[in-house]
Amino acid sequence: MNVLTIAVFELRSRVSLISTWVYWLLYAALGGIWMAAAGGAIEHASLTVGSEKLAINAPYPLAVAITILGFVGVIIIAALMGRSVQQDFEYGTFHFLYTAPIRKRDYFLGRFLGAFVTLTLIFTGIAIGLEAGMHLPGVEAARLGPFALQSILRPYLFNVLPNTLWLGAVFFVIAALTRAMAPVYIGSVLVLIGYLLAGDLLNDMENKTIAALIDPMGTTALDALTRYWSVAEKNTQQIPLRGLLLWNRLLWVSFGFIVTAVGYRAFRMDYGVGRAALGGRRARRRALIAAANEAPAPEADGRLSDAGAAGAMDRSAGAYLRALPGTVWLYLRETIRSPRFYTVVAGGAVFIVGSARDVSSIYGTTTWPVTYQVLQVTAGFFALFILVITAIHAGELVWRERDARMDEIVDSTPVPTWLGFFAKLLTLFAIQGLLLGVVMICSIGIQLWQGYTHLEIGHYLFELYALQWPRYWLLAALALTIHVLLNQKYLAHFVVVVFFLVSLRLPDFGLEDRLYRFGSVPEVMYSDMNGYGHFLPAARWFELYWSAATVLLLVLANLLWVRGRETGLGARMTGLRRRFGPGAAGVAAVAAAVLIGSGAWIFYNTHVLNPFLSRFDREELQARYEKRYKALEYAPQPKITAVDLHADLFPHQHRARLSGTLTLLNRSGAPITDLYVMMPRSTEVRGLDFGIPATLVDFDRELSWRHYRLSAPMQPGTTSVCHFDVGYAMKGFTNDGAERVVVDNGTFLNGAIGPETSFVPSFGYLEDAELTSDRERRKFGLAPKERAHDLDDPVWRRIGFSRDADWIDYRATVSTVAGQLPLTSGYLERQWSENGRQYVSYRMDSKMADIYPLQSARYRVRRDRWGEGDRAVAIEIDYQPGHEFDLDRMIAGVKDSLGYFTQNYAPYQHHILRIIEFPRYDQFAESFPNTVPFSEAIGFVAKVDDHDPKDIDYPYFVTAHEVAHQWWGHQITPASVQGGDFLTESLAEYSALMVLKHRYGDAKMRRFLRYELDRYLLGRSAEGKKEQPLFRADGPTYLHYQKGSLALYAMQDAIGEATLNRALADFVADWRMKGPPYPTSRALLAKIMAVTPPQKQYLISDLFENIVLFDNRTTAATWRPAAGGGFEVDLTVSAKKSRADGLGAETEVPMDEDVDVGVFDAKDNPLLLRKMRIHSGLQSLRLVVGAQPAKAGIDPLNKLIDRNPDDNTKEVSRQ
Amino acid sequence: MRLKIRGLSKRYPNGVQALEQVSLDLSPGMFGLLGPNGAGKSTLMRTLATLQEADSGSATLDDIDILREPARVREVLGYLPQDFGIYPKVSALDLLDHLARLKGLADTRGRREVVERLLQRTNLYDVRKQKLGSFSGGMRQRFGIAQALLGHPKLIIVDEPTAGLDPEERVRFHNLLADIGEEVVVILSTHIVSDVADLCSSFAVIHHGRVLLTGEPAALIDSVRGRIWRKIVTKEEFAGMKGRLPLISTRLQAGRTLVRAYAEAVPEPGFEAVEPDLEDVYFSTIAGHFAVARAAAA
Repeated sequence: MNVLTIAVFELRSRVSLISTWVYWLLYAALGGIWMAAAGGAIEHASLTVGSEKLAINAPYPLAVAITILGFVGVIIIAALMGRSVQQDFEYGTFHFLYTAPIRKRDYFLGRFLGAFVTLTLIFTGIAIGLEAGMHLPGVEAARLGPFALQSILRPYLFNVLPNTLWLGAVFFVIAALTRAMAPVYIGSVLVLIGYLLAGDLLNDMENKTIAALIDPMGTTALDALTRYWSVAEKNTQQIPLRGLLLWNRLLWVSFGFIVTAVGYRAFRMDYGVGRAALGGRRARRRALIAAANEAPAPEADGRLSDAGAAGAMDRSAGAYLRALPGTVWLYLRETIRSPRFYTVVAGGAVFIVGSARDVSSIYGTTTWPVTYQVLQVTAGFFALFILVITAIHAGELVWRERDARMDEIVDSTPVPTWLGFFAKLLTLFAIQGLLLGVVMICSIGIQLWQGYTHLEIGHYLFELYALQWPRYWLLAALALTIHVLLNQKYLAHFVVVVFFLVSLRLPDFGLEDRLYRFGSVPEVMYSDMNGYGHFLPAARWFELYWSAATVLLLVLANLLWVRGRETGLGARMTGLRRRFGPGAAGVAAVAAAVLIGSGAWIFYNTHVLNPFLSRFDREELQARYEKRYKALEYAPQPKITAVDLHADLFPHQHRARLSGTLTLLNRSGAPITDLYVMMPRSTEVRGLDFGIPATLVDFDRELSWRHYRLSAPMQPGTTSVCHFDVGYAMKGFTNDGAERVVVDNGTFLNGAIGPETSFVPSFGYLEDAELTSDRERRKFGLAPKERAHDLDDPVWRRIGFSRDADWIDYRATVSTVAGQLPLTSGYLERQWSENGRQYVSYRMDSKMADIYPLQSARYRVRRDRWGEGDRAVAIEIDYQPGHEFDLDRMIAGVKDSLGYFTQNYAPYQHHILRIIEFPRYDQFAESFPNTVPFSEAIGFVAKVDDHDPKDIDYPYFVTAHEVAHQWWGHQITPASVQGGDFLTESLAEYSALMVLKHRYGDAKMRRFLRYELDRYLLGRSAEGKKEQPLFRADGPTYLHYQKGSLALYAMQDAIGEATLNRALADFVADWRMKGPPYPTSRALLAKIMAVTPPQKQYLISDLFENIVLFDNRTTAATWRPAAGGGFEVDLTVSAKKSRADGLGAETEVPMDEDVDVGVFDAKDNPLLLRKMRIHSGLQSLRLVVGAQPAKAGIDPLNKLIDRNPDDNTKEVSRQ
Repeated sequence: MRLKIRGLSKRYPNGVQALEQVSLDLSPGMFGLLGPNGAGKSTLMRTLATLQEADSGSATLDDIDILREPARVREVLGYLPQDFGIYPKVSALDLLDHLARLKGLADTRGRREVVERLLQRTNLYDVRKQKLGSFSGGMRQRFGIAQALLGHPKLIIVDEPTAGLDPEERVRFHNLLADIGEEVVVILSTHIVSDVADLCSSFAVIHHGRVLLTGEPAALIDSVRGRIWRKIVTKEEFAGMKGRLPLISTRLQAGRTLVRAYAEAVPEPGFEAVEPDLEDVYFSTIAGHFAVARAAAA
């Protein structure tokens, strides 16, 4: 027998197994469904890989699909490779094979090859499924690109096949040496850990290389390789096997070879040394046993059968129930005594601790390990781990008796089937409980390690054991059921894992209702401010519902439990009727009643009390809104000139009542007879009048559109007073849990973000409510649309923050429960208690934008002051007690900002500045007039290490950014056209950068800007419409934040900070609190142009008016002693400058400009850094420095936008 | 306590007719079920042990319908399967205790007593704390009989218990079986004739799923007396006889072949009459020569 004979035999026996084809079919189905969802064949699905501008069959999306689907295949590789050698031991066939004239090489390679070819065959299912999916009816032709076989084949070459090869080899060797399957599964769990860890590391781009290399699956390397690919490249460029991807593949395939070589040497075709070897203890035991065997049987009275007679037999259910704990303990002991369990747990624990070093980082700076943050990382990381272990142990437990060939003995005892079944279920629960304990211990360890001693054991216990554990129970029960139903251990493992993964992604396929997503429970988010809030009951209802469903499943599984030799599902189904006794019927009836009852209650809450709106439904509403009312977009409407608000918040009842007056002014130049009023759908309108009698002619409840006709027209230039009295009350809960509008502690009604969160009436058609994605628009027959109005649109130049108002007078009285402090924009005029409620009255002393927050919580207040006399500004931070960590940094941020901005731009328009914390349900900070609501998650728990040169003080930075908005946003309110975000966000980011630079120095800037460069390049690579040049910034954050800070930083670097600030001050002077018309980016660029020397004016075009990218690199760097002392450095650099279109297609443009050239010593200190004239192409440079050079190159500080920033510098070698 | 089997049939999905119209009547005492490998013995045993379903027919143990009331059967059943494993890392004491629990010995003290008594009687007491993985084949079988006796069963099924045991162990095991009380129905399935000869008061021969013969060993031996002949032949002579003479068994003896035949009169010159034993009955039956005897015994 040679290698081939054995391989072919293995292959043939595999191919004749039905499970091989079930794997294949599952894969083909997954591939087909993936494409159907991505291609639009499933109407409600919304699956986008990378960007909706990518063809679904383009190289990149296909590579992602194939690698992700291939990843799940690890379980199949483990099963097939492991089994191909382990089964010879399980069935004892090794006795024949190992004594046959088969050479080790032939056996080893033959079996491996057979399994490898089978696996390859199974994995072709992915490609065939994907390809077939593209041709399904309903797949939108517009989403398909040209067919290229390579796009499908390449991912196999760099991902699926290498992984099958090396992982297969490792699993094969493990099975060959240990002669068991369990260690193989441990191997697959370790691979999973490696993959997770790599993904986690990649979040910080500084770890890119290590992350790309350690991922055993190569997925992270693919991510790293294509990280900065533009949309155009992802659409057309095949994934090349080079760079980190190549290294990763080489690394792991070689690892596979080494393991194989070592394993091959160690492998013996024999009975097994371990079995024959007798250690001292074992030898003694053998001797004892032999002696016992030889001893004559003791004389005994009576018949042998009478020896088995027991006085008391009790076979009642109660007696067996009492046997349950012992049985569970028997099973559990077996698991936790096995070394493999410890291996897995220890591996998991090590990786938890390793990955949680940086508990949560922003710009590479960590936060304090507060309990919820640590849990988010540790429990989040461990979740997949617990799932896999649950799946594997479910299989082990279901097969426990059969694997030990004890099944016939146990099955023929009078024990009720439910005892073993129930005990196995509880054992699974216990294993999960143990793993959660590991999470808790690791988390506490991390906290102590980082010097955080505020241990909240109660919080841990509640989160892990009262919230997470029950959800894992559902999965345990499901895994057990799948194993019982399929009765095919290895196939069932795969099905369980696929089920887990698919159920996570169901919403992408349009299946959102939790009533039919198994085990789906709304998220309960913990916040230090609000605890678990009022979110638990909804979650508990869903848990009850799914528990009842699970009990039904368990009853079914128990009835279909394999007892005896009748293993076919058909035979078991027949037997089901007989087994279905009153006990099962009773349990099933109760469970069904609970299922129906809780389901009805949930349905009543999520579909009747609250409208159930899937993503598709919401899109449909948006489309309908546009189709129905777009024609009225420019119908004249009055402007709000003053708001007098009375707001009563009822935090514990989760309701609010807002009433007051809006002063309306007809500034349209035409009489107004029709008013179109928008309020959120949940608003209950108690009273609404406009000062002029009006009738409601149309009320479109679904779209929340009200059309009033005035009895007499509102004449141009006249004012009128609108009285409103509206309420909001939470009604039950929705599919996503209880609404977060009014919460027990930390309510934040945000009056700025469109109609869903502001209850104050708004007038006219709201363009923001339209669908933005061109793909979705196409689905509903709408034409594509730009993200913003054209820069020069004359109508929209006259609109600032909103259509409703230009500048307003603002006053408000807000009340809340006693013990909480209500807050809004303006100045506190009066504060009092009445009827056990806390009241405040605020008034703004100057005109302001029409946005204001309403907040209420139990705050502690930190106060400070900045400046002297008239210009003095009171600083106030309202925060959650316990969150004192970063208050000093925030205060410093406010002071430094006020200093820099008043000196360089213009005076601050208010004399108080308030930072107000809100719960982490949202993670942002936002500037309102003299008030900055600030999420607890993005600065209040930051742990900045001032001694770490890498740490960025982001509480300080974010504060500076928000304070800057008091200028860029509140003094300069831009027109609602392209480039508006440039004037607000980019300028705020620049201003904060300057403040940061003055405090922390230029070196910190470099690190910061590297992050900004990374995120800019990453952002544009997922562009869904087209990238605009900065001065037309139209919404994407990568543009106005990241590119904005890079461009403005480069501008001040080129012309000087003071010069640029002079232009900004000039701009503010022209436009301060002006509008309509409002300023646009053209006005700013003109000011910058005015201060820029002619030879640098090209920068305005490069940085702001075009998308310019560089590809600069140093190709050679040598040094030799200079004639006059010092070191002469010779550099060969290549430079290239391109302009990109909206999707990233580049055209080279000639380059001839000043670029930084630098030489650094071994400690990375610059020996020389100066601007030199650089042109396109290769060029040689000669520099002389005074000390030993170590590294040199072009644009070393990455000031230019370059997709390969790492090759700019090079080690300098001796010539 | 009577076990009645009537017209039991079972055909496997792959077409093998494992049981065909099997009918038997068993009263207390040890009943041997003799047949070659693959005769359907284990299928019958498993069916009686509630682990398998039959296509047709019935089986009752007194008033218990074995096929329809598995739970009631299990309460009075002790089963030692043909090919069973044990958890290698669990001690004999622990496993027997666990199984006792499953059999319904709920009371801890009483159970402990029963378990220890059985271990003593099966001569495993000294090694009760040893891991089962270190047991020899005979010890495992003895453990098997110990667990089968838990709870004082009325019906004990012992499937091929002596296969693979060395002669000494077989003797020990026979002694154990012989010690089981007479008020219990014990079914011993085996392909070794001497097991039946040594232990059973009555037995049946089963072949190709059908019962060919039932009766008491002594009576059946009597009924073939005078019809069993033997001769020592060479290989060539043997080749000439095969198919021509009613041979029932052959055996090598010092390099030559000893053949036995079943016939009313001397089948050929050179054959001599011999005193029959149970093996002759068995082989005559399997070979199809003793078919009439079935009616005679019934």
